[in-house]
Amino acid sequence: MGSFSLIIDGQTVEVEEGATVLQAARRAGISIPTICDHKDLNPYGACRMCVVEIEGVRGYPTSCTTPAAAGMRVTTQSERLSTLRNRTLELMFSGHPNSCLVCVHREACEQHRPTATKAARSTRCGFCANREECDLRAMALSAGQPELSLPTMYAAYNLERDDPFMDRDYNLCVLCGRCWRICEKIHGKPAISIINRGKWARIGTAFNKSHVFSGCTFCGACIDICPTGTLTDRFARWQGKPEAETGSACILCPQGCAVVAQSKNQRLLAYTMPAFNRDASLCALGRFGAAQMVNSNQRTTRPQVREGEDLIPYDWDAALKAAATGLKEHAGKIAFVISATSSREERYLYAQLATALKGQMHLVPAHALPGDPTLTTIQEAIHGQGALALLMNGPLLGGVEQSRMAFSLVIDALHSDSSEQASVVLPAAMLSENSGTFRSSTGEIRQLSACSQAPGDARAEWRILRDLGQTLGLDGFSYTKVEDITRAMDNAVGEDAAPPAMTGDPRHNVRELITTYRGHQVADIVPALAAFGLPQRSMIQEESTAGSDNGFPILEKKEIVPNMHFFKIQAPQVAKFALPGQFVILMARETSERSPFTLVDWDADTGTISLVIEEVGRSSRELASLRAGDMLAHVSGPLGQAMPVEKRGTVLLGGGCYGVGAIYPLARALKQAGNRVICGIEASSSYLLYMQDELTQVSDQLILATKDGSEGVRGGVQEILVQTAEREQVDQFIAIGCTFMMRMTTELSRGLNIPTLVALNPIMVDGTGMCGACRVSIGGDTLFACIDGPLFDGHAVDWDELASRRSAYAPQEIQALSQGVDLSALMHQAHGPTDTHQCGCGR
Amino acid sequence: MSFAARQQEALAVWRVFDQPELRRILVGSATCGRAAGSLEVLQAFRDELAQADLEKSTALYEVGCLGMCYAEVLVEIRAQDGRRVLYQGVEPRHVAQLVEQHLVRGEIYWPLALAQMGEGTEELPAFHDLPMIKPQERIVLRNCGFIDPNNIDHYLARGGYSGTARALTMGPDAVIDEMKASGLRGRGGAGFPTGVKWGFARATPAAQKYVICNADEGDPGAFMDRSVLEGDPHAVLEGLLLAGYAIGASIGYVYCRAEYPLAIERLQTAIEQMHNLGFLGDNILGSGFNFSIKVKKGAGAFVCGEETSLMQSIEGKRGMPQSKPPFPAVSGLFGKPTNINNVETLASVSAIMEKGASWYAGFGTEKSRGTKTFALAGKINRTGLVEVPMGINLRTIIEEVGGGVSGGKAFKAVQTGGPSGGCIPARLIDLNVDYESLAEVGSIMGSGGMIVIDEESCMVDMARYFLTFTENESCGKCVPCRMGTQHLLRILTTITAGRGTLADLDSLRKIGDTMKNASLCGLGQTAANPVLTTLQYFEDEYRAHIEDHACPAGACAALIHFTIDPAKCTGCGLCARACPVEAISGEKKEPHLIDQGACICCGSCRQACKFDAVLVS
Repeated sequence: MGSFSLIIDGQTVEVEEGATVLQAARRAGISIPTICDHKDLNPYGACRMCVVEIEGVRGYPTSCTTPAAAGMRVTTQSERLSTLRNRTLELMFSGHPNSCLVCVHREACEQHRPTATKAARSTRCGFCANREECDLRAMALSAGQPELSLPTMYAAYNLERDDPFMDRDYNLCVLCGRCWRICEKIHGKPAISIINRGKWARIGTAFNKSHVFSGCTFCGACIDICPTGTLTDRFARWQGKPEAETGSACILCPQGCAVVAQSKNQRLLAYTMPAFNRDASLCALGRFGAAQMVNSNQRTTRPQVREGEDLIPYDWDAALKAAATGLKEHAGKIAFVISATSSREERYLYAQLATALKGQMHLVPAHALPGDPTLTTIQEAIHGQGALALLMNGPLLGGVEQSRMAFSLVIDALHSDSSEQASVVLPAAMLSENSGTFRSSTGEIRQLSACSQAPGDARAEWRILRDLGQTLGLDGFSYTKVEDITRAMDNAVGEDAAPPAMTGDPRHNVRELITTYRGHQVADIVPALAAFGLPQRSMIQEESTAGSDNGFPILEKKEIVPNMHFFKIQAPQVAKFALPGQFVILMARETSERSPFTLVDWDADTGTISLVIEEVGRSSRELASLRAGDMLAHVSGPLGQAMPVEKRGTVLLGGGCYGVGAIYPLARALKQAGNRVICGIEASSSYLLYMQDELTQVSDQLILATKDGSEGVRGGVQEILVQTAEREQVDQFIAIGCTFMMRMTTELSRGLNIPTLVALNPIMVDGTGMCGACRVSIGGDTLFACIDGPLFDGHAVDWDELASRRSAYAPQEIQALSQGVDLSALMHQAHGPTDTHQCGCGR
Repeated sequence: MSFAARQQEALAVWRVFDQPELRRILVGSATCGRAAGSLEVLQAFRDELAQADLEKSTALYEVGCLGMCYAEVLVEIRAQDGRRVLYQGVEPRHVAQLVEQHLVRGEIYWPLALAQMGEGTEELPAFHDLPMIKPQERIVLRNCGFIDPNNIDHYLARGGYSGTARALTMGPDAVIDEMKASGLRGRGGAGFPTGVKWGFARATPAAQKYVICNADEGDPGAFMDRSVLEGDPHAVLEGLLLAGYAIGASIGYVYCRAEYPLAIERLQTAIEQMHNLGFLGDNILGSGFNFSIKVKKGAGAFVCGEETSLMQSIEGKRGMPQSKPPFPAVSGLFGKPTNINNVETLASVSAIMEKGASWYAGFGTEKSRGTKTFALAGKINRTGLVEVPMGINLRTIIEEVGGGVSGGKAFKAVQTGGPSGGCIPARLIDLNVDYESLAEVGSIMGSGGMIVIDEESCMVDMARYFLTFTENESCGKCVPCRMGTQHLLRILTTITAGRGTLADLDSLRKIGDTMKNASLCGLGQTAANPVLTTLQYFEDEYRAHIEDHACPAGACAALIHFTIDPAKCTGCGLCARACPVEAISGEKKEPHLIDQGACICCGSCRQACKFDAVLVS
C-alpha cells in the first residue's frame, strides 16, 4: 500500500492509502471533536462534529468519512467550523439530559454526596452512571464550558431493565450508533439497530422483543463502546471507573478466552473483551457472570475441619495438618477428582500429589452434568479402586459418593453441598484472583494474571497444594512462586493434555452457555442466568410462590417517571391510623430486607395506602419489579411521629426525588389547617418531574425547578426557597428529598431565619426503636429517626454524622445489586418461558 | 423472431385497437381515476354493454392517466363513426345515457363532453388545443392514457423498444454519448447530467454492477412517477434496460413504494412480458447482453428516496443514508458499482434512444434540456399532472395550464420541490422553470411537486406543515437533521400559536443554516428550505404573527376568529351544515351566528359560504 501526503492546517501529513482525513489529522496531532467515530468501527458520519473545510470540495464534509487524498488541503479550525460545531453540539445536548454540564449545584453536590449515589439508576439529579467516564461529556468540555441555549426536548423513555445483565436508559442516548455497529461487526446480523424515525428514532431490537429473544449473545461490546451512560453493566455501573485493566484469561470453561479484567480496590468489576472483534468476544457468563461469581456471597472464606457433626473454622496450619493426616491415612486409596477448568499449575500439583500418595487422578470435563458418561466412568473407577478418601476441587461428584468415603477433602472457592459434607474444606481463590497458565481446549497456553484479592483467608490453589505437599513432607513442593511451577512443567517431559473441548460455542449462542463451573450450577451463583433457561436450585420457585395467598395486594403500580414507582397497596390497618409525615416498612418477600417508605396518601374507607418508591438499591429494585396483582409479604406501619399540623402562616414544602410524593400529605394537611401552602419540587430535567396535578390541588402555589432549566426555575429547591423568601414571608420550611438537598436548603433557611423541618432518611432496620441503626444526632441529643422522627429540626441536625452513617454500607449495597434473586430474570422465568411474555415487560 | 418482425406483429395488434370502425371505450383507471370512482364506472359500462348486447362489438379498456385530475373520471368513447370524444366527470349514473346516446346513436352527450381526440370541431375543441394541454409537451407521458398499459404490443407499436434495438447495435459508449448529447439531467431533483453519471459507473471496473430505478416517490402531493408506472410501465423499464446496457450491469432493481400496489402490479406484468418477448433474460435481441429486473417494495420511508438509503433498504437494512464518497458509481448496492435514476429520467431515456438526442435537445433551454413533469396542486382550478418544456415560465403553468387560482382568490406564492423545496412569491411569477432559475431564488426543481398558494394560505403555517413531515421522516441518524427538524417545528408551532418572539426568527435561521451545512444527506440539508425561503420572502407574515399576534392570511386557528356578516348572509344554512362542532345557529333565511366559545376556527364555514359572508379577523 502506498503512502502520500496532504496538508492539514498548513501542516504536511504523510498517510497510508485508505486513511480518512480524521485519521490523517490525528496523525498530525490535530484534535477534531467527534463522538460517533471509534477506532474499531467503520466511518459513520452521524454526529457531524468533525466537519472540516477542504479546498475544492463543496460544503463542510465530515473528516471521519472523507478519504484523505494526495495534495488535499484541509482546514480543521475556522470561525465558520467552530460555529457549526457549537450549534451541532447544542442540538445534540438539547436531546440529551445535560444537567451534568450545567447544574449550578454540581460542585457542591460532588463535595457533599457521601458516595456515588448507590442507585441502580442513572438520572438521579443528572449524575448518570457513566459520569466518570463519559466521552460525550469530555467532548463537550474539550472546548471549554459549552453554551447551551436551546430549550431541551427530551424523549422521556422508561428505563429498560428486563434483560439479565444490562440497564438501558435511552434518555441518555445520542444515537451515535456505536452499539449497533459493533454488534453488526462482531455478530454479522446485529441484534439491535435504530428503530422508528424522527424524534422517536432510538436503538432497539426487531419488533421490540426483549434482548433475551433478540439474538443478543450478551457479549457486552455495546456497553463497552457506548460513549454515554445509556448502556451499562448492571453489576459494574455504580462502581465507577476501573482503576486497573489486566490482561488475563477466563477459565470458566475450557475455551479459556482472553480477557481484560477491570478492577478497582482489588475487586473485579468485569471481564471485558480484549479487542472489538468477533474472535475476541466473550460469552454472557464470562462478560457478566465472572465478576458476580468472584464477588459472590457464596464464597468460602475460611479453612474448616469437621469435628463430629460440625465444620469448625481452623487456621491454615491446623487445617492443612488435618488434611494431610486424612490423606496420609488413606494413601493408596485416594481418588483425586479434579475439574478440567483448573490451571495447568494446579493440575500439575494435583498430579504430583496423586503420584506421591498413589492415588488415582480423574479429570472432569467442564460441561459434564450429573449422569454424564464421563462421571459414570469415574465413579466406576473409584469403586474399582476401592477408594476410601476423596479429594475434589468442587462439587464434582454426587453426595452419595462422598458419603461413602472415610475422608474427603474439598478445595474450592464456593460453598456447596460437597463442602458441607467434607472432612476438611480449604478455601481457594478463583478466576481473577489467580495467576498461572491455562491450556485451552484448542491447546493454546494462556497467561493468567491476578488482579483482585481473594476474600477472607482464601488462597491461591497452587499455594494450598504446595503447602499440603510440604505438610505431607513430600519432595518437590518447594515452589515460592507460581512461575516456578510453570517452569518446572515446561522442563518436564511431555506436554500436559488440553482439556476436552465443548460441543457448543457459548460466545455466539446464549443457549449453549455452560451450566456448571467445577460442579457448581452457575445460575445458583448468577441467578440472572435463569433467563436463558439455565438450571437452578428450586429456591427461586419456592420464594416466588411464597406468600402469594396471604399478604398485601398491590392494587396499582406504575413507573410514573423513570425510576419513580407509584404503588397503591391494600393495607387497611395502616390506612386506618395513618397521619401525615408517617412511614411504612415494606418487605417484598419473606426473605427481603425491610425498607422504609414515606406514606404519600391513604384512604381509611377503602383501606388503601399509596407510596412513591424510588429505585436506589437492591430492595427498592425488588419492589419495583412487582406488578399490580402481586402480593407484598409485609407492610408494617404507620410508623414514626406525625407532623404537628398547626396554622403557621405561609409554609413552603420542598421536595426532590421521592420527596416530591412525600410532601403531598403534608401539603394537604397544612392547607386544611388554613396555611398558605407553597410546594416547590425539583428534578434534574423536566421529564423527571411528577405529581404536578396532585400537588396543585393541595397547595396555593406550585413552583417547579430543574437543574438544567428545562422547566421552571433553573436550579433546585435551594433557588425556590431563596426566591420565595424574597417575595414573601415564609413561616415554615419543610424539605424532603436527598440528604444533599435537605442539607443545603437547611443552611439557606438558617440564614433566612425560617424554622425548618427535614425528613431524615438514615439506614433503618426494624423501625420500632430497637436496633439503633437509624441513630441521628439532633442538637447534641441522640435520637432515633424511626420513633423520634422522621421529621426533625433541620438546623439542629448533625449532617456530617448523618452522611457518614448513610454511606457506611455503600460497598455492600453496590455488591448486593447483583446478589440473590435477580427479579428481572425471575419475571421472565416465571411468566414467560418462551417468547410470549405475559410478565408485564411489555414485549 | 427479429425485432422488426416483432414490431410488425405489434402494429397489427395496434391497428385492431385503433381501427375507427371498432366501438371502443377507454376508462382512465390509474390510481387517480380509481380514487374518483373509475372502477365503478368501468363496471357500469360492463353491465350496460351486456344489457345492450354490445359487449362483443365494443372494446372496453382501462388506460392510464391523462393528467387532468380535476376532471376525473375521464372516459373516451368512439362510436362507429370513428370520432373519439373525451368525457369528464363521468359517474356510474351517466353510463346508461353515454352508451345509449353516444355508442348506439352516435350523438355526443354534451353535458360531460370535454374534448375531441384528434382534430377538433367548432363546438368541441381538440384535446391538444385544450388550454391545459396546449402548452404541454408530452415525452415522459407520451403514452399515458392512450395505450393499454398491460399490453406490450401497444407500447411496441408506438415506437417502444426501437431505441433498445438501436442502442444494442451502437455499443454502450455510444449510448452514453447519446445521453450526454441529449442534455438530459436527473429528474429526481438534483439535476445531475445522466450521461455523465452513466459514464462514471461504466468507468468503474467490476464483474457485477447494478442499475436501480428509484420509484420511491415520497413527496406529499407528488404522483408523477406513479402515473407513469401505471400508465406506461414499459417506458420506464426500457430506460432501465438501456441504463444497464450502458454501464454494463446485468441486474436492475425497481425500488417502488408499497403504497403503489397498482404500479407494482403493472411493473410485474410488464417484466413478465419483456421476458416472454426476449427484452429481458440472456442474449437480448441477439446482442449477447444479459439483463434481468427485480421489483423491490419499499416500506414507505421518505428517506429511502435518497439513493444511499434506498440501496441499504434493498440490502435488507434500515434505510439510512451513507456518507459519500464513495459514490454509488464506485461502491453502491452490495458494494458494487451502481447507477440510480428516477422514473421520469428513465422514461425520458427510452424516448431519447427512440427519437435521438438532437430531437430531445430541441426542447427546453440550453442548460436544462427536455421537459419536466409537475404535479400541480393546491389552490388552482385545474389540478393535475402536467409535462412542460424546461424554461417555460411559471405564469404559463399557473394561469394557462392550471387555469389560475381557484375561487378567484389572489395568487400569493408557489411552492416547488415539496418538503425539500422552497416558496416562490407572486412577484417572481415570470420566472423561467429550469434548474438554475429555481435554485437562484432559493427553491429547487425537486421531483416535481408544485403547490399553488393563495392569499388565504399562511406561509408560516405552510412551513410548519412541511416540517411536521420532515420531522417525522428524518431517519434520526445525524444530529442536525434529527434535532434540527424538531426545533424548527417547535418554533414554528409556537409562532403559529401566537407565542413567538423575534428571537425565534434568528433561531430559525441559525438552526436552518446548521442543518443545511452540517446534515448528512439531502433530506436534512434541504429540510429547512421551506422555512428559509418563507422567511426570505414573507418575513412580514412571520412578524405579524409575533408582533401583532395576527395571522394575515386568516389561517392560524389560535390567532383568528370567524364572524358572519349579517348584511351578506342569506341564511342558506350551508355554513351550519359544514361546521364540525355545531357552533353555527340561525333560523332559515335569517343571518346566522357563530358561537365563539364553541368555534374551533377550522374555516369550514368560510369555505362553504357562497356569499363571502364569513369574515375572518
